[in-house]
Amino acid sequence: MIDAVLQAARVAPALRQQSLVMDLERLGTLVPSRLSFARSLIRQMARQRWQITQEYFALDDGGYGEVIYRVQTPHGRYHVVIFSQHITDEERTDRVIANAWDVTFGLVEGDVEDSLFTTLAENVPLQEAGRQHPRLLVISRANKSLRNFEVFVQALAAGKQPPVEAIREVGYLYRTTAVYGNGKFGIADYGRLQGNPDFRYPFSAQMTAVYVLRQFSIDQAEHLARVAAPETAVPLANELQRYLGIGNSTGLGMAPFLIRHPQLINQWIHAREQALATAKAQIPSELSRERLLALCLRAQRYLDETSVENTAQAERNATVVEELTDIIPWLEQIALHETLWQQLTDWSEAAQTTDTQELLNTLLIELYPESVDMLEDAMAVEEKLELIPDMPLVQLKQVIETQFDWALSEDFEAPGAKHWFWYQSVEKEEPRLGVRGVDPGENKELPLAIAPRVQRSYAALSEFLQSNPKALTIDFLLAQPKHMESIRRIQTMATTAYGEIQGNLWHRDMKPMHLLRAKLSFLGANRFDPRGDRWVRVTFFQGAPLIDELNGEPTDLFAFDDWSYALAPTDLKVGEDFDTVENHESLV
Amino acid sequence: MKVSFNELQGLSRKAFIGIGFAEGHADDAADMVTWMESYDLHGLEALNLGLEHLIGEDPDTYPEILYQDSDLAVVDGHNLSVLRACNLALELAFAKARSRGLSVIKIRRCRQRQLIMGYLARLSARGMNVTAFWRNAQSPLTEQVVGFRANSTVPSIRVYAVEEVPEENEPNDGITLFMANHVDLLPTMRSDFKYDLLAKHDESELLAVRERAMTSGIEVSGELWLRLKELAQYALVESFDASRLGAGPAE
Repeated sequence: MIDAVLQAARVAPALRQQSLVMDLERLGTLVPSRLSFARSLIRQMARQRWQITQEYFALDDGGYGEVIYRVQTPHGRYHVVIFSQHITDEERTDRVIANAWDVTFGLVEGDVEDSLFTTLAENVPLQEAGRQHPRLLVISRANKSLRNFEVFVQALAAGKQPPVEAIREVGYLYRTTAVYGNGKFGIADYGRLQGNPDFRYPFSAQMTAVYVLRQFSIDQAEHLARVAAPETAVPLANELQRYLGIGNSTGLGMAPFLIRHPQLINQWIHAREQALATAKAQIPSELSRERLLALCLRAQRYLDETSVENTAQAERNATVVEELTDIIPWLEQIALHETLWQQLTDWSEAAQTTDTQELLNTLLIELYPESVDMLEDAMAVEEKLELIPDMPLVQLKQVIETQFDWALSEDFEAPGAKHWFWYQSVEKEEPRLGVRGVDPGENKELPLAIAPRVQRSYAALSEFLQSNPKALTIDFLLAQPKHMESIRRIQTMATTAYGEIQGNLWHRDMKPMHLLRAKLSFLGANRFDPRGDRWVRVTFFQGAPLIDELNGEPTDLFAFDDWSYALAPTDLKVGEDFDTVENHESLV
Repeated sequence: MKVSFNELQGLSRKAFIGIGFAEGHADDAADMVTWMESYDLHGLEALNLGLEHLIGEDPDTYPEILYQDSDLAVVDGHNLSVLRACNLALELAFAKARSRGLSVIKIRRCRQRQLIMGYLARLSARGMNVTAFWRNAQSPLTEQVVGFRANSTVPSIRVYAVEEVPEENEPNDGITLFMANHVDLLPTMRSDFKYDLLAKHDESELLAVRERAMTSGIEVSGELWLRLKELAQYALVESFDASRLGAGPAE
């Protein structure tokens, strides 16, 4: 009997409760998983034998100029066109209000003929201020990590490898400050990608451009080292190349995306929760236990050796390291049992921080690629909120009471509950937070807080129902049209499990960082290093296979995919002389 | 200038918010304009012609039901643009057709009627067969019929001039809509009375046009683009040194 119940659970594993999963603070503890878009992309590239080659390299002695990389897939050809320019320190800012960047780049569909290159050269460096070409699938820009760049070039020029600590402290040479897709500033619409098998996962075109930028950062540093000291310069050791990622600096601009794409967020979280439920329902084996132990140790070491500037984040990382120390012996000693994974997560949920719980969940998902990876096909959705005008109003009221109880229970009269309001500035339309009753712009508030809208609509329709007990939804909306958007969202999202983020986005104690981190984790970012609660630096592709490895057409796809929680190389002869560039001609 | 679909949709939405459309209604209006332009059905031209009137409309005035029963409704559009006044009237027709099989809605006194097509496309994508009829001009008298089959977002359109003008020819500034759950109501020209077919757009031709717009972008006049940008500014908040802190401290 018990076996039958367990079997049934395995067929339809239980998903976690919406109220637990969609809690804003918990979302702010998510880490990238094997379903994150950076991971999915690298798997796809390897599976489909993508080839990425440098097609044009025209940097001057200062490292300024243009470089083009060709991306060949089974279905098409693309090019990443990169423009590198000199900017002053005063011009270098990561905020959206910047007007100049160290590099600007774009992913182009098809070949880059001369006329297109001229157009790109005139417009891509201008970013928002340019008119971008419709064959561009992505445009982006990045700034140097001045500290690391200097260290890298000097070391390589001197025939030595840069110290590993430089990457441990800052995991990249460049950090992107915005990566635009979907028709921004004239580039190709998302609709163009929908039928394209190369970019069918969300943000995969953006991730491709960022992945190629990582190679550029290496190529440019090596070029500058050769220019500085042609006799002694050495290429960057492969282990360090792999340990190097691409940074990203993200601010509040990312937050509205999560609120405005609830159906997409539902797909992402639902896929992750399905993966977790599937993993927990598997019968553990000695092999899977050993694999989980190895992953725990790797994640622990990764967090231990990753340096972040933000004190609170450093403390959180240290706590996770400590709590993983508790998990490891428990996992080593306990007898294998069919419900081991469930026991483990139950114990973690009861005794450990949310950070550790979600890391553990992510590592469990890692154990079962054959059951989990197919979920990446369910990550995309066309966002479309629709009314159900013929729904009886009394039924709508019940829907709100059952599905949006979290919104109804929010007390907006409590101190601090209405502290912030969200708005968009005229300055490049940057989203900002203002203090209600103090800062100007409240009359132009962005309606990002869902709970107060639900409460208002609920109150209005409840009153309407009293005099119109048989009314339909449309009757109410024709009488009070301003509730249309709120009702449309309620009716659409009531059929989903995980679309609505359950938090008060007005509250004084609300941390926008949680929103940013939730999205970044799905993109595949790690090494979260917040600057306050509205700004964060992260790293992508740290530990990811290099382009040369991809071009080598790997046969062991499992090993190729196993690059999460990149560890610092340990057996590298840092500071010692390496072979000179002449012996590594194939690198450039 | 060429712009992307998403860019046009985004700027239109902001412009509608700037002129007082409520959230949701602004999205619908932007979708209607952009949908039409992506099929090269002159959505921007229609918007441009009525833009100043639209700006002057009272944002708190909505369509009003003059009469309704289970399958029929007559709505007063209060001389507003269909961008502002029609989405909920069309949802009413949708609800009636769902429960009764077929519904008829007459929206009287409305402007920029061409632009209604974008919302009809939305309803047909939800499984409804939809046909709309209206008269465009009095002299010569022209009529337009737009039909969508259920689950298709591409219409069949016929525009024709009526040669035998009836004696009763009062200006008609309304739209008549038919919605049916199970039967398509696509326009097919069949008449004993003389007419002159002025335009005929079928699904396959329109799909090709849409594909071109997605590949090469949508042509917009620089002047209109600037005007929309200007309107969109009303939804934005002035910036000053302290307000920059609202996005977090400078790095």
